[in-house]
Amino acid sequence: MIIERSSEWEEGFINRLENPEKWDSWTLYKMSYEIVKTNLITEFSGLQSAKYLPNLTPLTHQLEAAKTVIERMNGKAILADEVGLGKTIEAGLVLKEYLIRGLVKKALILAPASLVNQWVEELNQKFHIPAIPYKKNYPIDRYDIIVMSMDTAKKSPHRELIYAQNFDIFIIDEAHKLKNHKTQIYEFVQSLKKKFCLLLTATPIQNDVFELFYLISLLKPGHLGNYETFQSAFSASKHDLEHDDYLRALVNQVMVRNRREDTGIEWTNRRVQTIPIQFTKEEREVYDLLVELKNVSSVFSGSFALITLQKEMCSSKEATCLTLTKMREDCVAPDEVEYVDRIIEKLMALEINSKAEKVLEIIAQANDKVIIFTEYRATQIYLQWYLHVKGITSVLFNGKFNKNKRDYMKRLFKEQAQVLIATEAGGEGINLQFCHHVINYDLPWNPMKLEQRIGRVHRLGQEHDVHIYNLAIENTIENNILELLNTKIGVFEKVVGDLDDILTNYKKTI
Amino acid sequence: MYPQQVHKYLQQFFTENDCCILGDDEHYITVQLTIDMDKRIMNRPFYWQYVEATNGEPSPAQVTFITDQNRIEEKIMGEVIHFGSPRLNQLFQVTKELGAFVQMFEKVDRLETKSFLTPWLGVNYKVSYCSDQTKEMLYSFGINLMTGEVIEEFQESLNDMDLVSVISEDAFQVQYIIKPNRALQRLDTIVDDIIQQDDHIWAEEANKRWHRSQRVLEYFYEGVEHKPECYEIEKKALEEQYDPKIKVEIINGGLFYLT
Repeated sequence: MIIERSSEWEEGFINRLENPEKWDSWTLYKMSYEIVKTNLITEFSGLQSAKYLPNLTPLTHQLEAAKTVIERMNGKAILADEVGLGKTIEAGLVLKEYLIRGLVKKALILAPASLVNQWVEELNQKFHIPAIPYKKNYPIDRYDIIVMSMDTAKKSPHRELIYAQNFDIFIIDEAHKLKNHKTQIYEFVQSLKKKFCLLLTATPIQNDVFELFYLISLLKPGHLGNYETFQSAFSASKHDLEHDDYLRALVNQVMVRNRREDTGIEWTNRRVQTIPIQFTKEEREVYDLLVELKNVSSVFSGSFALITLQKEMCSSKEATCLTLTKMREDCVAPDEVEYVDRIIEKLMALEINSKAEKVLEIIAQANDKVIIFTEYRATQIYLQWYLHVKGITSVLFNGKFNKNKRDYMKRLFKEQAQVLIATEAGGEGINLQFCHHVINYDLPWNPMKLEQRIGRVHRLGQEHDVHIYNLAIENTIENNILELLNTKIGVFEKVVGDLDDILTNYKKTI
Repeated sequence: MYPQQVHKYLQQFFTENDCCILGDDEHYITVQLTIDMDKRIMNRPFYWQYVEATNGEPSPAQVTFITDQNRIEEKIMGEVIHFGSPRLNQLFQVTKELGAFVQMFEKVDRLETKSFLTPWLGVNYKVSYCSDQTKEMLYSFGINLMTGEVIEEFQESLNDMDLVSVISEDAFQVQYIIKPNRALQRLDTIVDDIIQQDDHIWAEEANKRWHRSQRVLEYFYEGVEHKPECYEIEKKALEEQYDPKIKVEIINGGLFYLT
């Protein structure tokens, strides 16, 4: 094996002997030796980082995860702990370890824009890693540890600037955003030279097993074979996995996944209820009219448009009306327009929202802080009005808020309001352990979104049992959504591992 | 290094380099840099160029380093410094540069008869084994420049001695027979021998990991005639990740005249 050595010291020494000048200080000489001795890494294995982190007491499962990533996965891994177990801490430990060992000099952390500052703070404060948030026109080559938003990174000229650097490690947060291999961000990450790479996501599969295939192929191309072999082996049908155990074993070679119950920490329980709701006679009539639309006009024949309307009808008349009015503009024939107008009229005449009434009931019963998740802005605003009329204080939340506004809203919720009404985007990166009731007012298609929502509340630091209420209106599209959610959870569990309860009783159905 | 150790290190470092310590409060330290230290660590070459070109009054910086931010109650303006921070690494580097070559004499008791001091060459080596994992070893050797005798853990043995940079009046230094550069070559060979005789299963394992990953990569592109650029990138990444290397670095060394 080649031994690399530098002749620098030798030359300097010989130079001293030939041209006598002042010798160096004995104290500095001894200090220099002592530094090397103290900081010597005497073992290939084991974590050095923990002892250099006075501000942090990592939990056992976090230390184990960092060790596994470094020793068994050689620094290329998916960190897929359940929400709220501290994936950031694990990534920080790994990064720190490589920095101490001199294996990493330059690191790039990619995160959603809203989480950039949080990363910078955590790395600096908890890990003493001098990370900086990337700003336009920053001399990227002058900084070693940079946190950047994914959206910035994938665009010119930042993209080219990143390629021109020699980053030793990439840490990509919320990596499920890379599930689609046809996106710009996927291509961007694919073309990075990833010596070490961590992908962080609680939800490596959201819809089907191919998402995991693409995620792993990004990290270690070929680990699951190429697309053709993978497809023929694992997808007779998307949801039917024949080689579960084999696939799971392969996946476990590149993925660390801690579950709440494996952490050895006492976790409070999740009490999940699916709450069936009956439409009123009037609501049902409008819903049926909406379903009929596909036979009335070609504008509504696309299944997506119709499904949206059905989902919205299960949410609020405000949400429905907004979409319907927009679609009405596309109708040409007078009878089509007339039909739509009739629906709108009936819709606006509705006086009762059965779901909202149920929400009120739940809030009254809980007699405590409650988070409501809805998919629609219009519903969000309606609910705030409705609750206000009933004398219940609430604040709105959505993911587009900047950090200051988020913190402010969180404080308002904690200190003053009883209810927080969040839209989908509110799911990531906010921690609300002081609350223990979550109402899923609308159901998303993707079970992992539910998991992310619940994770806001059911995470480290939660001291009470967490109550989750999944609302579904009977004999509507929400029944189908529930069914599909069950199937997807099944796929996830077969390949990745068990999930904490999201829905009621789904285990029996699979 | 813990915050207290960093703090102690800074005290020692600046005192030793003639930088006046203006304020020192357990968790932060304020120092007046000398011109030389300012040039070394403040990263402002244009300022110094300007001062020197215009014969201006040099004004080296005053710096406050905060060694334990969490334990400071008042509001202190300063630079947070900690193990792993670029600034501390820079100071380590400066320490290394300013403590690289020494010539020291053992202090002898005036009451004794005239002592003869034997010349030794002492060298401290750091050897690193690197792949996707690392391990480091520190070797300190001393070689007697009269007899060629080599002893290990030389630096530790010096710690118990009283060494001074100017020879005592009652001592007499013997001129060396073995030239220091020949002696250095001899020590280099000893380090090489140690490396040769060491168990390098770590490198075999790293190579195995490398080849396994390489095979996986090939599998992914099996049958693809024109492999895309990301194949080459990935291949290069695997090399950088796993390729086992051994690095030998001399930390410092010097001439020692001992009884």
